[in-house]
Amino acid sequence: MAGEPNASVRNVGQQRTVEIIRMVLLPLVQLALFIVGSAVVLGLIIVVVAFLLSRSDPMLFQTALAILPQVMIDGVVRGFLFATIALGYTMVYGVLEFINFAHGEIFMVGGFVGAGVGYLMQQIGLLTILPPLLFVLITVLAGMTVSGLLAMTTERIAYRPLRGAPRLVPLISAIGMSLVLQDLVRLIATSTPLGFNARFETPDFGQAIKLAEIPLGERSMPVMISPKAIIFITVAVLMLIALNYLVNATRLGKAIRATAQDMSTASLMGVNVNQIIALTFLIGGALGGAAGVLFGLNIGTVNPYMGFIPGIKAFTAAVLGGIGNITGAMVGGIVLGFLEAFVSSYLSMFTGGKFSGASYADIAAFSILILILIFRPSGLLGEAVTQKV
Amino acid sequence: MTTPRPAPDPWTQLRARLSSGPGGYVFLSLYAALCTGLLLLNTRTSLLTDILFILFMLLALVVYRSQVALGFKLGLGGVLFGLVLPYFGVLNPYYIDVATQAGIYAVLALGLNVVVGFAGLLDLGYVAFYAVGAYLWSIFSTPQIANLFAGAAPIASGWFYAFILLGLAIGAGFGVLLGLPVLRLRGDYLAIVTLGFGEVIRVLAVNLDKPINLTNGAQGIKDIGRPPLPLADFVRGTLGWTLDDNQLYQLFFYLLVLVILLLTVTAVSRLKHSRVGRAWEAIREDETAAIAQGIPLVRMKLMAFAVGASFAGMMGVVFAAKQLFINPPTFDLLRSISILSMVILGGLGSIPGVILGAVLVTLLDLQILPRIATVLRDAQKAGLPIPAAFDPTQYQRLLFGLLLIVMMIFRPEGILPEQRRREALHANEDTGTPEA
Amino acid sequence: MALLEATEVTKSFGGLTAVNAVTLQIEAGRIVSVIGPNGAGKTTFFNLLTGIYKPDSGSIIFDGKTLVGKRSDEIAALGMRRTFQNIRLFNNMTVLENVLVGMHTHLHAPFWQIIAHTSGLRREEAQARERAREHLAYVGLAAKGDELAKNLPYGDQRRLEIARALAGQPKLILLDEPTAGMNPQETIAATELIRRLRDELGLTVVLIEHDMRLVMAISERISVLDYGTKIAEGDANVIRSNPRVIEAYLGKGAAGHAEAPADSA
Repeated sequence: MAGEPNASVRNVGQQRTVEIIRMVLLPLVQLALFIVGSAVVLGLIIVVVAFLLSRSDPMLFQTALAILPQVMIDGVVRGFLFATIALGYTMVYGVLEFINFAHGEIFMVGGFVGAGVGYLMQQIGLLTILPPLLFVLITVLAGMTVSGLLAMTTERIAYRPLRGAPRLVPLISAIGMSLVLQDLVRLIATSTPLGFNARFETPDFGQAIKLAEIPLGERSMPVMISPKAIIFITVAVLMLIALNYLVNATRLGKAIRATAQDMSTASLMGVNVNQIIALTFLIGGALGGAAGVLFGLNIGTVNPYMGFIPGIKAFTAAVLGGIGNITGAMVGGIVLGFLEAFVSSYLSMFTGGKFSGASYADIAAFSILILILIFRPSGLLGEAVTQKV
Repeated sequence: MTTPRPAPDPWTQLRARLSSGPGGYVFLSLYAALCTGLLLLNTRTSLLTDILFILFMLLALVVYRSQVALGFKLGLGGVLFGLVLPYFGVLNPYYIDVATQAGIYAVLALGLNVVVGFAGLLDLGYVAFYAVGAYLWSIFSTPQIANLFAGAAPIASGWFYAFILLGLAIGAGFGVLLGLPVLRLRGDYLAIVTLGFGEVIRVLAVNLDKPINLTNGAQGIKDIGRPPLPLADFVRGTLGWTLDDNQLYQLFFYLLVLVILLLTVTAVSRLKHSRVGRAWEAIREDETAAIAQGIPLVRMKLMAFAVGASFAGMMGVVFAAKQLFINPPTFDLLRSISILSMVILGGLGSIPGVILGAVLVTLLDLQILPRIATVLRDAQKAGLPIPAAFDPTQYQRLLFGLLLIVMMIFRPEGILPEQRRREALHANEDTGTPEA
Repeated sequence: MALLEATEVTKSFGGLTAVNAVTLQIEAGRIVSVIGPNGAGKTTFFNLLTGIYKPDSGSIIFDGKTLVGKRSDEIAALGMRRTFQNIRLFNNMTVLENVLVGMHTHLHAPFWQIIAHTSGLRREEAQARERAREHLAYVGLAAKGDELAKNLPYGDQRRLEIARALAGQPKLILLDEPTAGMNPQETIAATELIRRLRDELGLTVVLIEHDMRLVMAISERISVLDYGTKIAEGDANVIRSNPRVIEAYLGKGAAGHAEAPADSA
């Protein structure tokens, strides 16, 4: 027990570091592959369809190609939005097999916290002097704190008393919680200077960055990405890395995974199940809150009912990726974001304006949800679940 | 209201004395006469009339729960809801409209109860079937029809009755259409998918103004046809009542809804006590055991979906004709959830409970919230610190949301549960009246 | 021809072969037991017979019809009914209603008759209730028809499951551990009931059971499963002295001095 151990400890330590890096980065590589894959597949489809249609309308092909890079950027941003919200659904589902219907509202609350912080800073004149990145840091942290605590509180009030009740009972309670949160925030917002449609005040982030310029007949089409979108993607990626580390490489993560596997056994092994569930809500809620802040920052306004549709879509993303699977939720979010961006940009163009793309993007999302649930309920990355008799 | 917990002795005794035997007849007659008299003396819309009206509606519950001869119950109910309420409605159209709405919602809630309460399938897109029925009649009875069939004129309003049946059939058809792919799903997934379906139907209603203008988009359809008034000459001539068309239509729709409600209750309770109802209940209790009894799971679930949807489709036709105007927001998710909260408030699976739930939620929504709003506005004028922007009538989500949470946590079986289940949950309590 | 013929039936979950090429022939009017240590694949075998699982390979012929590919409810309708190891009653329905649900496949009043409440329907309902009471009386629950199933004592719940299965007028009834958790008196009564099912009603009975006294007393034929494979078959005497059976129950080395498997494994 002397002489050698030091080296072997170091060796083990090194191995462990490598292992951790692998576990943290592997999902991100998978994610990147899916981003590239979705972009290529959908891009090809667009090219083919546009080519087929271009016989009747020669300009269509050019226009379709010219906006393609912009649509892809848009797809990535939407994708990360859905991915960060979807994580909250999937974590809670993984542990409790329960659809936290109110998660969309947790996201919305995050947006309001950001708007509130922005408003306060504007009032005291901080907004003009604060560096934009510091502003992002402060609002995101504030949003994460409030949303995470709120998610934990909802669990304590409306879900924990119903644990062990038939499946639909906590689901109905969660639907109720979703409605209550919508109107509570509305009550607060309309009683303060924020108002129903609250402006999300931010420091000046500067002009959109022009990535390229695509010639299109006499004119040219610029490909732009706004600094806010870059911030969104960066923060989202950072959070995903942190989450992967937390779940795969820490004791807490192990406890969460154990609880998800089998709650009663985990409890026998000394895991405090109630605490782990509360923490799961806290983490999922914090991610949702951060997504809300970033979303508000990007869009410029927030309102109390804005969480619902992104919530359902993020749930779709979670199911698409395989509910309960963290990497799956990210992948599902990306795929769904791309699909939506493509449908909303091209449907109207390809049908000569007969169908409005934006509204049918919603229908596309719900159709995907229905199709996935019917044909592959375990999702893209999920494992088949066998039923116990 | 009766309290669920074992009551102190004097109260139990009093209840027993007032709900059965000669005491019961006297009490019910007195209550009915008093309510009727006071209501007819206070016809102006006011807080007092609101309270009287609610007491009047609750009278139906008291009559139902009492242990008196069935003939007496039916006779009293017939007089109160067939004569007194319509007459009162002539004096004050607002209240009969509330009663009509409550009736419409009661039918919808009974339909949803077949799906959620009997078969245990959570359907969050129920209002879609209602929308289908409503748009069906709206498109065919207005010039919108010309966009569907070039040159076609709106259908004669006498076809309304045929369209009630058509709404029933098309509602059932849509129920099967949605049900076929999704009924293999597990309960919570089913809820989300039906929610998605409801949203799809609403988005379609908003967007199907192109490529052909079917639904007239977000503007909605106005000037919807209504059926010719039956017996108008009789009422005006022979009875000599001077009523304008609107008043007569109000009475007409009230009575029509009442008849449909009675038919619905009959149909639903017959189903419930048949092989079909037992199969649904078995599926809700334990799917695996139900299959082992030879119950075809998907077919029975489809049947529940179709039956529930058919009531909504039928009521959609009636609603469109009564309202004369419909637009997509009428059929949003909140409407589905409000119907769900009626079912849950009253008691999943319990027919009288669901009707009570529908009446209570409608009264809350249409009468009590506006009344609170008025009171708050007065208080605000008197200088109390109430935010100016706060309007309780706009906070339905809060109301329905709280209702769902509170019921789930404290009384998941509802306020008027199915008798049998109530016995199961409160084993020591005295048993009440047998079920309808 | 046998009433039930299962040939080379195999089912695996992931890497685990739960039922491995099991062949079983059951003649009509017999009482047959399937025994084996815990985890031997007995309940999985029942689940394969009743269509809850689809076999990976092999054929199952019941009453001349192939069962593979049929849904559970279709199989039940053909006349094969079962009870469950962990009692699956419709807890919040009454005892009588539980039996009525068991009759589902024999009630045929069409939908419109239910809505119209025709005399035909009322007659059918009345007869069904009458028959349901007879079934309850047969298993000794005549007085309990209006109680909720979940309020019955344990032994009565097992009887009710049998009554519910009888309501389907089956040709064959599969009983999954019908006496599990019963005290000696209850077990004797249950044994008696099982025997009556065959003697008086002419049913074919297949049971999974751990109580060896019961198995040996009433089975005309016993099949032993171990690790998903059938290791022995025959009447009580053959099984009692089969070394592989003794080994499966008591472990290697026990074969020499144990005469019969213990009462409950």
